[in-house]
Amino acid sequence: MKKKTKALASLRKREMLLTGMLFLAPVLIFLAVFVIYPIIESFHISFFKWNGISAGREFIGWKNWKTLFMDGNFRRAAGNNLIIMALSILIQIPLGLAMATFLEFGKKKFKVFKVVWFIPHLMSSVAIGFLFSYALATNGGIISTISKWFGGGNVDLLGSSTLALYAVIGVICWQFSPFYMVYFLAAYTNISEEIYEAARIDGATKGKYFWHIVLPLLKPSLKSAAILSMVGALKYFDLIYVMTGGGPGSSTELMATYMYTLSFSNFNMGYGSCVASGMFLIITLMSLFTMKVLNRIGGDA
Amino acid sequence: MDSIKVSKIKSILLWTLAVILGLFYLLVSLLPFVFMIMNSFKEQFEMLVKGIFELPDHLYLGNYEAVLQGNFFRYFGNSLFVLVVSLALLLFITACASYPLARFKLKICSPLYALIVACMSIPIHITLIPVFKMMMKMNLYDSIWALIGPYVAFGIPISVFILTSFMQSISREIEDAAQIDGCGRIRMFFRIILPLSKPGLSTLAIYNGVHMWNEFSFAYTLTQSVGNRTLPLAVWDFKGQYSMNTPMILAVLTLTALPMIIMFIFAQDALVKGMTAGAVKG
Amino acid sequence: MKAKKVLSVLLAVTLTVMLAACGSGQSQEVAPKAEGGAAGSQEEQPGEKKPAGQENASDEDKVITFWNITTGDPDKAIMNYAVDQFNQNSSSGYQTEVVAVQNDNYKEKLIIAMSSGECPDMYTSWTGGPMIEYIESGFAQPLDDLFYKSDLPNRLTEGSIAQGTYNGHIYAIPVNNVSVTGIFYNKEIFDKYNLQVPETIGQLESVCDTLLGNGITPFALANQEKWTGSQYFMYLATRYGGLDAFTSAADGTGSFEDECFIKAGETIKNWVKKGYFPEGVNSLSWNDGMAKQLFYQENAAMMLTGSGMSSVFMNDSEEFFNKLGWFPFPVAEGVDTDPTLMIGTMGDQFISFNCTGEKLEAAFECVTNYSTPEGAQFMVDKGKIPPVKGIEEKVSNPLLKTVIEYANKASNVQLYYDQYLPPAVAQVHLNTMQEVFGLTMEPAEAAKQMQKANQDYLAEK
Repeated sequence: MKKKTKALASLRKREMLLTGMLFLAPVLIFLAVFVIYPIIESFHISFFKWNGISAGREFIGWKNWKTLFMDGNFRRAAGNNLIIMALSILIQIPLGLAMATFLEFGKKKFKVFKVVWFIPHLMSSVAIGFLFSYALATNGGIISTISKWFGGGNVDLLGSSTLALYAVIGVICWQFSPFYMVYFLAAYTNISEEIYEAARIDGATKGKYFWHIVLPLLKPSLKSAAILSMVGALKYFDLIYVMTGGGPGSSTELMATYMYTLSFSNFNMGYGSCVASGMFLIITLMSLFTMKVLNRIGGDA
Repeated sequence: MDSIKVSKIKSILLWTLAVILGLFYLLVSLLPFVFMIMNSFKEQFEMLVKGIFELPDHLYLGNYEAVLQGNFFRYFGNSLFVLVVSLALLLFITACASYPLARFKLKICSPLYALIVACMSIPIHITLIPVFKMMMKMNLYDSIWALIGPYVAFGIPISVFILTSFMQSISREIEDAAQIDGCGRIRMFFRIILPLSKPGLSTLAIYNGVHMWNEFSFAYTLTQSVGNRTLPLAVWDFKGQYSMNTPMILAVLTLTALPMIIMFIFAQDALVKGMTAGAVKG
Repeated sequence: MKAKKVLSVLLAVTLTVMLAACGSGQSQEVAPKAEGGAAGSQEEQPGEKKPAGQENASDEDKVITFWNITTGDPDKAIMNYAVDQFNQNSSSGYQTEVVAVQNDNYKEKLIIAMSSGECPDMYTSWTGGPMIEYIESGFAQPLDDLFYKSDLPNRLTEGSIAQGTYNGHIYAIPVNNVSVTGIFYNKEIFDKYNLQVPETIGQLESVCDTLLGNGITPFALANQEKWTGSQYFMYLATRYGGLDAFTSAADGTGSFEDECFIKAGETIKNWVKKGYFPEGVNSLSWNDGMAKQLFYQENAAMMLTGSGMSSVFMNDSEEFFNKLGWFPFPVAEGVDTDPTLMIGTMGDQFISFNCTGEKLEAAFECVTNYSTPEGAQFMVDKGKIPPVKGIEEKVSNPLLKTVIEYANKASNVQLYYDQYLPPAVAQVHLNTMQEVFGLTMEPAEAAKQMQKANQDYLAEK
């Protein structure tokens, strides 16, 4: 009897493995071809001195990597990425959650809000960059106008090496918060109506219901959102490239824009690939580590 | 009695505050879009002289005429085709992959999951050259089919990540009941997991849909003739080395954004609300 | 159920749109084919189009692929002019197919193609540092034989040919536009305040002071893109130290810490402090039209930029263009440098060739169509100054005539630093210059970083 169940269990295990691999195969093939192969190629190129176009390239061992270690520009870029990361997590996720909660609690009444709130995420970065560079203009822009109402002077945002990064982060958050709204709306659908009914019968107010019941139930979604936001911020490129081009000077340079400039305009593909590979390593290690830590903390959920 | 009254007043006050904040954010979300549309009805010189915040002199339709007379519909058709094919493929294989990752207790699952998550960290620009070479070899360069592979592949990591965590949060009760009824894994996936995942899938559809619709880098790397270009490249037709016709570009961008908004209104509502209600009851 | 309905509606919409698009779009494939292209288009299947040209010119492969950046008019019409002529009249049996890629993404697409050995048969560049990379990587053919056999030596100006020459060989043929940098100014504003066209930097400063006193910003500059402000630095350095200072600094015999560079930086710093440039100049985006905006609103009186902008002004508003005058950058007092020196480009767009034998000959023939009298006239009509000898007789616009006059008088025209220098060094130049404009870096420090970047580059080489 016992033997039989054991055999059955191992048979089931094997069947599970087989089905699992069958389900995973298409995704793995796509990733191998379009993601994993290019990243291996990138690591490979990082050991060469290469302008990106010539047929020959010179093997230089770890030289690019040594340069990367000492590269102040890269460190500065990575620092900027970390700032974007911290602020993205602190702003986008709470804002997205607040919007989703508002819509969820308000039910059908606020349907229009959902559509309008989502519009920023639907606009292309080209349009956003254009409109915000006028909106944030030193002379006649929105912030300067508000500052003047309160008796202040014009505020130079995008042209200031200390403020430009934060100005663009504001726009990034504006663009991405709606995504987290939709994300949390989907997460809300997994909390069944009955839980709310039960809580209401117990006399819980909406506030209590949110803090004591909803938030713990949303914990896994919050963790994933944090990881998503983190990875997105660390490899960010779009609006910085469109709105400041890394400037003034190189004060808003990011890892991705730095890599892009090296590879595609400075004819330094070898080092550009090295930066890309370094970037890949940093982001992967950070995200996997954070995932581990978050899972340990939230192990009870 | 009193405490209920107090809490009621408090709740009304809080709601009013929330609605006011909501309305404020409504403006913040909407205004740039409004300005985009408004400026698309101006002439270039007029826009530059008056600035972007002023109303147009009159409803100038020339930009839209020029855009619609160009290759717009061709680009639009290409974009729609790539979007529909890539999105359908992406959602299906992502759902397939997330199921074992979320539900099967296999040793191989967690390293595979870590691998897929690691794939999220790849900077897109580094893949352009290898993917270009590949498409050249496969004789797919300069055809819209070349875009499908990269679009699907670059949607996978985030989609699997989101969907796996979504599936993990689906209650196991229904599944357990089905298992007792002797339902196999594959049938279980199609009959139970897939329908229950629809809110998650709709989030992914929206997220990836927007990305594919606005995707730029692969679009210009992998196509070259005008007939094979997608919508984001339409702005090229109005941009020279020294100048661009901004109002015309804004007209293009407005026309590009509108279908997405319409789709969002319909798809989001139908998918999230309709489906979950059905699924939970069923 | 609802979802199914939505999906089927979506699918139906997709299909109809696609059908409609295919129906209307087919005829619009690759624009420049024109009538003469009919024969060519039968030969090529849509799936087989290759940007490449290295293969031998077998009978099936009679298509010359030509990449350029002319996605918008008037440049598009100009680029297509010679191609149409060639496709209709050439006896070579070849057809040229144009692929236009927008400027912002052009260099990247070219690098990606070259990186895979799929370089197009013909492509445009701005010469300078990038062209040298293309040549040294084997993607450009020396053209001396073809060039001297043709009529081009009689047609094109020496300066423009020199710009396409590297190591004594001609690698690129100028086509589009002579664009020398100078100052466009609003004549009405100058008249209103009784201002004269300044001839020295001192006079320029007093013009600026008068304008400032009347609430008008002297210069319309938008420096987010960095190269825009760099033009002021290049001119000041040239006026203070002549051209040799720069060329010797670039090749390593001189230094970017030379006095003239530091003095140029100091002047800019001084001008920023006095308010000669708009407030928040580094936040203003040239690409988004913010410099033009100040100029068009008549809130700014002058703009230092390439004369190529004239066709843009003309395109935006004929009326405004007629208010404009042009003068070359004033000379420095008390310094003995050549006052005729200018900054700019002698051709703006240069075509290089990546094909050999018969195909190269055909491609070269195609390019000769730009500088025929008719071709040159076509460009002049579009507000351009083609790099053709005797062009001043064809141009009637007084502003453009002035430009040509000074360009012809110039003893030398220095290509923009950011195009002349190796791209990695150019990047440092642009970044440090932007910081000088932002008053966040001292000119001496900028010069130091520039010198270091150039030394590092030369050492690596």
